Amino acid sequence: MIRFDEVSKRYAGGHQALKQVSFELDQGAMAFLTGRSGAGKSTLLKLIMLTERPDQGQIVVGPRNILRLSTKQIPLYRRRIGVVFQDHQLLYDRSVFDNVMLPLRIDAYDKHEAARRVRAALDKVGLLSKEKMNPITLSGGEQQRVGIARAVVNRPQILLADEPTGNLDPELAAEIMLLFEQFNQVGVSMLIASHDLSLITRLRHRILTLDQGSLINDEVYPSRRDSQPHGSGR
Amino acid sequence: MSNSTRTPPGKNTARSQTGAKRGRSAKQRFSGWIEQHIDACADALQRVWTQPLNSLMSLMVVAIALLLPALVYVAGKNMAQFGGSLQNTHRISFYLQPGTSPEQAQALQALMTDHPLVDRVEFISSQQAAADFANWSGLGDVIDSFGGNPLPASLEAHPIDMATDTALQIRDAFASDTAISQVVMDVAWIERLDSLMQLTDRMVLALILVLSLAVLFIIGNTVRTHIAGRDAEIRVMTLIGATRSFISRPFLYNGALQGLLGAALAWGLLLALLQLLAQPAQALLAFYGDEYVFMGMDLRASLFMLAGGLLLGWMGAALSLSRHLNKP
Repeated sequence: MIRFDEVSKRYAGGHQALKQVSFELDQGAMAFLTGRSGAGKSTLLKLIMLTERPDQGQIVVGPRNILRLSTKQIPLYRRRIGVVFQDHQLLYDRSVFDNVMLPLRIDAYDKHEAARRVRAALDKVGLLSKEKMNPITLSGGEQQRVGIARAVVNRPQILLADEPTGNLDPELAAEIMLLFEQFNQVGVSMLIASHDLSLITRLRHRILTLDQGSLINDEVYPSRRDSQPHGSGR
Repeated sequence: MSNSTRTPPGKNTARSQTGAKRGRSAKQRFSGWIEQHIDACADALQRVWTQPLNSLMSLMVVAIALLLPALVYVAGKNMAQFGGSLQNTHRISFYLQPGTSPEQAQALQALMTDHPLVDRVEFISSQQAAADFANWSGLGDVIDSFGGNPLPASLEAHPIDMATDTALQIRDAFASDTAISQVVMDVAWIERLDSLMQLTDRMVLALILVLSLAVLFIIGNTVRTHIAGRDAEIRVMTLIGATRSFISRPFLYNGALQGLLGAALAWGLLLALLQLLAQPAQALLAFYGDEYVFMGMDLRASLFMLAGGLLLGWMGAALSLSRHLNKP
């Protein structure tokens, strides 16, 4: 589903964000991407979203080498990927309902079908009763769930999440992860960047570890380990 | 995700679980697309409405920029009716050689009347000319003091139309006739008026060009501030797969709306101004004759103004988007 071949990325300032990273994520798989701040997690996700381009290597998503997509094809490609951001990226000038509606408006869904899907997505994250509220009035965990509803409302094949639990307390973080597992169980491929090792090691999924831009560890179903070396270092 | 009660069974079950979603009919896609446009229009309208004071101020500037050429246009139109009526009295006087016989004069008159560009020809005898002169100037005694009538007989040809060219052709056709001593026509006057009319036309055109640019930049600038104010929204929409045209659409509609409203405001102001000018202008025109009527804005020019405003607004927004909307 997602394949990286020797991907390197150096930013304009000279910072080497990724060094020859290679991995493959199968369709329907779920994996965590971990490492310290600045290890390259966000860059890797940005490369998949095509908001950044690598200097070297190939990235294949689904059947295609996405680096060969034309400017016009990029928006259509992005609609097949759901993204959850650490800071939610919700729009506070409109209701929860309209926030979740946004991807469907972009994809030209008609209102009835779109409203049905928005309610289904909000129901899934447990916020159906708050659809008319402004997201700014919701708690951090609730806002993140609105962000997740927006990411899945278009039924993407892939869901990316960049530190989705970064601002949440452990209990809420676990809830969010449970939600992701449920999406994964219905066939959505997931790649979640998180530095919260204690949380993700408990969940027993594949863990890709980045250190200074290099992929230093790729563990499937790791056993419980101490969270000391890369611990929640913020 | 819950299954739809609206979707027929079998169409939705397996697919909704795997995330495939391209099962929409062309009709659904089309109505979705129409709804996108309606949303963009509503959004554009809301932007104008939620900041009424700001909007009114920039609309006012747009309106004044559109008002100026419209005013000059109306002034030119009123002058043009003068041009038309002065040319109406337009005729060519052929003065006959002294001693031309009445038969000769009649033959020439017949010849002129047959010319395709001549409507009719009047013969004015030397006596009649003297009588007219005495009548018109009150200087009959002066003629008497000459001890004889010094005024020649003449033929006055009226062309079939008002074009200067027609008059010149008629003059050239008969000027060389031996019976004719002199030809007089008001060509200079006519040409002067013609060039004055051309000048006003050019002035309207020049004003339209210059002030169109102004409108373009005023609206472009307003749209630029809207783009800057919606930075977060544009970033999020780009990330979740909005095309550039989808993001641009509300701004384009907003620009067009500003242009249209500005033009409508200009039109209203123009009407009010003309109302104010109508009475004194009519009084002035009455000095020149009853046939002169003060003319206001016509339908065609009004529509041109509204359409022009709309188009300029759209273009101003497009200009601003091309400079300030980042590449995806």
